[in-house]
Amino acid sequence: MSDVPVRPTEIMAAAGSRELHDGEVAVVGIGLPQVTCVLAKRTHAPTLTALLEIGVINMDPKDTPVGLADSRSFYRATCWSGFLDIMGMNLHRGVVDVGFLGALEIDRYGNINTTLLKDEAGKVRYFNGSAGGNDVASLAKRVMMILRHDKRKLLNAVAHLTSPGFVGGKSRKELNLRGGGPHRVITDKAVLGFDSATRSATLLSLHPGIQLDDVVAHTGFALQIPNPVPLTPLPTAEELRLLREEIDPKNVYLG
Amino acid sequence: MSEKVKTIAEVVKTIPDGAHIALGGFAIARNNISVAHELIRQQKKNLTLSQSVVGLENDLLVGAGLVKRLIMGGGSLDRFGPVHCVNRAREASREFAHDYSSLSITFRYLAGALGISFIPIKCLLASEILERLEAGPASKEDVSRMKCPFTGEEYLLMRALNPDVSFVHVQRADRDGNSQIDGPIWSNEESVKAGNRIIITTEELVPTEVIRREPARTIIPGHRVEAVVHQPFGGHPTGVFGCYDFDAEHLKLYVNHSKKAETFPEYLKTYVTGTKDHWDYLEKVGGLKRMDELKAIQIQGY
Repeated sequence: MSDVPVRPTEIMAAAGSRELHDGEVAVVGIGLPQVTCVLAKRTHAPTLTALLEIGVINMDPKDTPVGLADSRSFYRATCWSGFLDIMGMNLHRGVVDVGFLGALEIDRYGNINTTLLKDEAGKVRYFNGSAGGNDVASLAKRVMMILRHDKRKLLNAVAHLTSPGFVGGKSRKELNLRGGGPHRVITDKAVLGFDSATRSATLLSLHPGIQLDDVVAHTGFALQIPNPVPLTPLPTAEELRLLREEIDPKNVYLG
Repeated sequence: MSEKVKTIAEVVKTIPDGAHIALGGFAIARNNISVAHELIRQQKKNLTLSQSVVGLENDLLVGAGLVKRLIMGGGSLDRFGPVHCVNRAREASREFAHDYSSLSITFRYLAGALGISFIPIKCLLASEILERLEAGPASKEDVSRMKCPFTGEEYLLMRALNPDVSFVHVQRADRDGNSQIDGPIWSNEESVKAGNRIIITTEELVPTEVIRREPARTIIPGHRVEAVVHQPFGGHPTGVFGCYDFDAEHLKLYVNHSKKAETFPEYLKTYVTGTKDHWDYLEKVGGLKRMDELKAIQIQGY
């Protein structure tokens, strides 16, 4: 196995997993966030609680689900409930530590667009909208974004502000939001954080083999860059084994 | 007590044009497909639909041109693709959809179900979703802001949602309408109990003794229910936990037709208006043989 090169998705899953602490409560989506949570649970965070907005707690799927609404996501759960429980009496109540979100676009303040894209002529194309995204971004103590590192996805300004980060560089208190806001952006090239003073995205680490120039070229806003730039740790041998043999053996999400 | 058990055609005949309807699905799970199809066969007009997470049933109705207004929290067909018909309608008119989030729609239903006229929430603030609602036709009618009189904290206020008719597809119900749902229920309890009329479609029509054995599973009590429709495989091609899996082949076929406005009428003609009822539709999509392939293995639920 060691001669199979480590893939960016595996670095992302391991980087995400290290951001999760034992005993925490996380709202996850299907895909890399779910893979990340399972990896954390099977290594350093066995008592992490995973919530699905549809109304599922601590599922233990044996087959890979195609989404939240797939019965495979409900398998061996410890609780079935609904939005009012998961998003209301957990998230709105303030007990969710971490929320994972994907995005069509994000900006330097961690604002997320999942609603629409505009082409150069201004023509609008709609996508999935918020669903639970705005709720998680508004209310989770920390928000982790997972997306592909692309200049068209990490932008100065998003085409539609679906889910708020530090809007206009403002504090969450000024924005009347209870959740702590953006915490990490995990891409296939790097891990980003947010500066506590400017609330703007900063480069925290580069994935091994990725050049700084490459990240700068693929980021649509000016990143704060530390000197020297740390490297994202590679997944351990045990993390790789878990990912490849147990968590996603068919490469549905890691492939 | 009058008989509540009806056919889908009978209950859909009682839905007036212009009604606000809430269907019970989520993406590709437990959609009211048999209801959506019959609304299309009977060519209802100018409907308002509301839903926390839009799925195939609402995409069908929008694609068939029955819908004037959509009040939605988001929507997709999971990995099978986006809700193309809904997205096209949004591209054609910015006023078509009132956009919210899953929780904010659920809170609006909750207020409706509790009989209170509005509800405060700590979501949507500082977002373009709220900016658009406040700038659009929902302004003043549906959203407002206030500071908590006790703590001074700023809240978004939303008006209660009370659909004229709420539908939900459940795993089992009795003839009185006592309805049980297995698996997660997303916003079913709130959207149904907010409804001024409640109509159940059910996989299984069971004797009340079955309900009495596990009364904690009853999400909707019979006294609230106007009508019960017994329709096995009423959610196909979406999945119904414990009964059958989603039909991946048919979902792909649907998306292949829905992704272009020009090819969608062909889907409707073949599978909806070209079928006389849901049984006829089930024959067209593979009949008993296909349904048996999709049937859930009981211990895993799919």
